[in-house]
Amino acid sequence: MKEKNPGKMVMVDDSGKAGELKPESQRETNVAQSLPKGTATAPSAPGVERRFRQTDLPAHFIERRKNPRISTKQPPVPAPPRFEDYGPIIGKPELDEIRFLARHLRGKTVKMVNSTAVGGGVAEILNRLIPLMNELEVPTRWDVITGGNDFFEVTKGFHNALHGGDYNLTQQIKDIFMAYSEQNRKRMEFDEELIVIHDPQPVGLVRSKSPKHGKWIWRCHIDLSNPHSAVWEFLKPLVEQYDATVFSTAAFTRQLANPQYLFYPSIDPLSEKNKELPEEYINKVCDDFGIDRSRPVITQISRFDRLKDPVGVVESYKLVKKYVDCQLVLAGGGATDDPEGAVVLQEVMEAAGDDPDVIVLNLPPWSALEINALQRASTVIVQKSLKEGFGLTVTEGLWKEKPVVAGAVGGITSQIVHKLTGVLVHSVEGCAYQIRYLLTHPEFAAQLGKNGKAHAKENFLVTVGLKRWLVLFQILLGMARPNAVL
Amino acid sequence: MATAPQLPTTGPRWALSPFYFNSASHLLRIGPEKATTLMELLEAIRTCPESSIFQHTFQTLAEHHFISSGFSNDFSHWAFASCNEVELAERLAAIDVREFTSIATLRERLIHIMESYLQKNPRAATRVAMEPFYLMASDLVVVPTPYVARNLEEFADGLRKVSIHAIYYHFIDARLRLKLNSNDFSVWLEKELDLPQAADKVNRIDIYTSTLEEVRRNILKVIEIEMGRV
Repeated sequence: MKEKNPGKMVMVDDSGKAGELKPESQRETNVAQSLPKGTATAPSAPGVERRFRQTDLPAHFIERRKNPRISTKQPPVPAPPRFEDYGPIIGKPELDEIRFLARHLRGKTVKMVNSTAVGGGVAEILNRLIPLMNELEVPTRWDVITGGNDFFEVTKGFHNALHGGDYNLTQQIKDIFMAYSEQNRKRMEFDEELIVIHDPQPVGLVRSKSPKHGKWIWRCHIDLSNPHSAVWEFLKPLVEQYDATVFSTAAFTRQLANPQYLFYPSIDPLSEKNKELPEEYINKVCDDFGIDRSRPVITQISRFDRLKDPVGVVESYKLVKKYVDCQLVLAGGGATDDPEGAVVLQEVMEAAGDDPDVIVLNLPPWSALEINALQRASTVIVQKSLKEGFGLTVTEGLWKEKPVVAGAVGGITSQIVHKLTGVLVHSVEGCAYQIRYLLTHPEFAAQLGKNGKAHAKENFLVTVGLKRWLVLFQILLGMARPNAVL
Repeated sequence: MATAPQLPTTGPRWALSPFYFNSASHLLRIGPEKATTLMELLEAIRTCPESSIFQHTFQTLAEHHFISSGFSNDFSHWAFASCNEVELAERLAAIDVREFTSIATLRERLIHIMESYLQKNPRAATRVAMEPFYLMASDLVVVPTPYVARNLEEFADGLRKVSIHAIYYHFIDARLRLKLNSNDFSVWLEKELDLPQAADKVNRIDIYTSTLEEVRRNILKVIEIEMGRV
C-alpha cells in the first residue's frame, strides 16, 4: 500500500544496515524525515532536532536517538488465533471449563451491535471475541449501525458530554438520534436469544426488545461517572430497558434499575502487542530506537496526553537519575493527528531538555510489535496517569512480567494491588522513589512481575472475558442459577 | 456420570460415594453502595447484601490466589492502601474466613473490628480516602469437570488435573455450603475413605500463607503419604 506521505526514503535492509534500495512497498523510512520542517510532531524532525549534551554514549546510540528508525509500512493483520491456541497459556482445565460453559449454550444465538467495524477499542475486542464464540458453537453475529454525518456528530457530542463535557442538548439533536435509531431498528432483525449492544450510539435499538423473546445487554465501554445530566437523563430510560448492563470498572457506573456487571477490559496474549517475541527482535527494535540494553530502561507507553502525565514521568526520571544510571523511553502516538497531542509532545521535549537518555518516540498506530518489544526490553514500566478508566498498558506490563509503577487512579487500583502486583503512586516524588526502589531491589521487582503476570492471567485476558460472557448468558437465560451465598 | 463401581475386596480403599470434582466461575455484580470514608464503609458493611461480604472476603481470595502473603481481604487492603490506617488494616487482615460458616457471623466480626477502631480513632472515621471503595457482589456458577474419584489414586489424579478454581471451590467456598469448619476434600477423605488424620492435615493447610497452587501441592503431599509413596 502506498503511504499517504512516504517522504524521503532511506536505504535500509531488515537489519537496519545501509544497503540497496528496496521496492517501495518493502521500504522503511524515517518518519522524522517525512514530516514538515519545524513541526512539533516529530521529535527528531529536521528543525526541531534535539540537541544532546556531551555524553559518553557510543555514537550509534546518539544517532538512533536523533533519528529513530520507525516503520511507516502498516504490516498485514495476522489471522485471529484459534481457541486451542490459548491452551499453553491458560492450561487445559481452564480451556475445558470454558468449553463446558459454551456447550450448554450451543446453538443459542447471539447478536453483537456497535457503531463501527474498524478502528477503536470495541471493534478490536469484537474481532477477537466473536470468532472464539463461533468456534465454540455459540453462533454470534456482529452487526454495525449506520447513520449519516449528522447522526455521528450527535453521537460524538454525546460521547464527550457523557464524559462530563459541556453540551447543548436540543430537541433537534434528540430527534436526529432517535430517527437514526428507528431507521436502524427497521433495517435490523433481532431474532437472537441474546442481544449485546455496545456503547451509547446504538442504545436506542432496545426499543425492539420483545417481552417474550431475547435478553438484551448493554455493554458500556465509557466512563459514566460524571455525565452531562441532560444527555444522561435522555439516554437513561433507554438503558434501563435492558435486562443487564456491563461496565469496565465500578467507578464508571450510574445508579440503574437493572443489574450491573463488571467485566474488566481484557488483552489478547496472542496479539501482536502481547505475544512472546524472540530476543533478536527485541534487540533489533532497541537498536532502531537507540536504546542501550546494558542499562536499566524505564518506559511509559501512552498517547501524548496531559492526563497520562508524561512531563511528570520525565520529572520522576530526573529524580531517579541522581541515584541510578538509567534511560527513560516515552513512546506513544496521538501527536501527529491530535493538535493537543503535538503541544504535549513539545512540552515533553522541553522537559527532557538535552538529556540524551530521555528517548521520546512518536509512533504510528501500527507499531504493536515495536511497543511489545519496548515493554519487554524495559526494566520498569510506568503508567503515571492522573485520570484513567482502565489502563490497558498497565495490563500489558503485568502480562510481560514487569514491575509496574502506576498512578492510583480509576481502574488502575483494580489492576495493581499495591506492593503485591505492582506499585501505586500519587506524586512525582512517589513515582521516583518507587522506581529507584525497584531498580535497586531486583528480587522484589521480579516478585512483583511474577504476581502481576498471575493477576493478569486470572483477571484480564480475553479468555477470561469470553468466560464472563458465557456465564452471563447462562444466568440471563435461566440456564444457570448463581449459587446462593448461604 | 460415573457408574457404581464393583468394589474389589483387596487393594486400595474404595469410596461408596465418589468425589465429583467441580469448579466455579463467577461474575462480579456492581452494588449500589460506595464508601469514601471508613464510616461509610462501616455503614455499607452493615447494610450490604451477604453476597457483597462474600465477594470481598471469600471470593477475593480466589481472585488473588497467586499471592502467598500480604493479602487477606478487600476491606483490609482498602484500609491500608486508600485510608492509610495500618492498624485497622492489620486487624481486618487477621480475619480468617475459614473460621466462619455463615456470612452473618463474618459480617458481625467485621462490624465489631471497625466499630472498636473508629471509637478509638474518631478522626479516622470521616477522613476521605484516596480512592472510593465500591461494593461488589459475586454470582457463582458451578461448572462440573470430567474428573471423578473413587479411591486415593483417582483423587490425586483429579487434584492434579483440575483448574485452580476447582481447588478454591472445594477447599474454601465449601465452608459456607457445608456450614462446617472443614472443606469438601477433608469431609470426603474422612467419611468415604476413613482417613481422619489425612482429612485433618488437609484442613490445616494455611490459605493465607500459601498460593492455591501451593495448597494443591500440599494436599497432594498428604495424599501421597497416605498412598505410601513418600
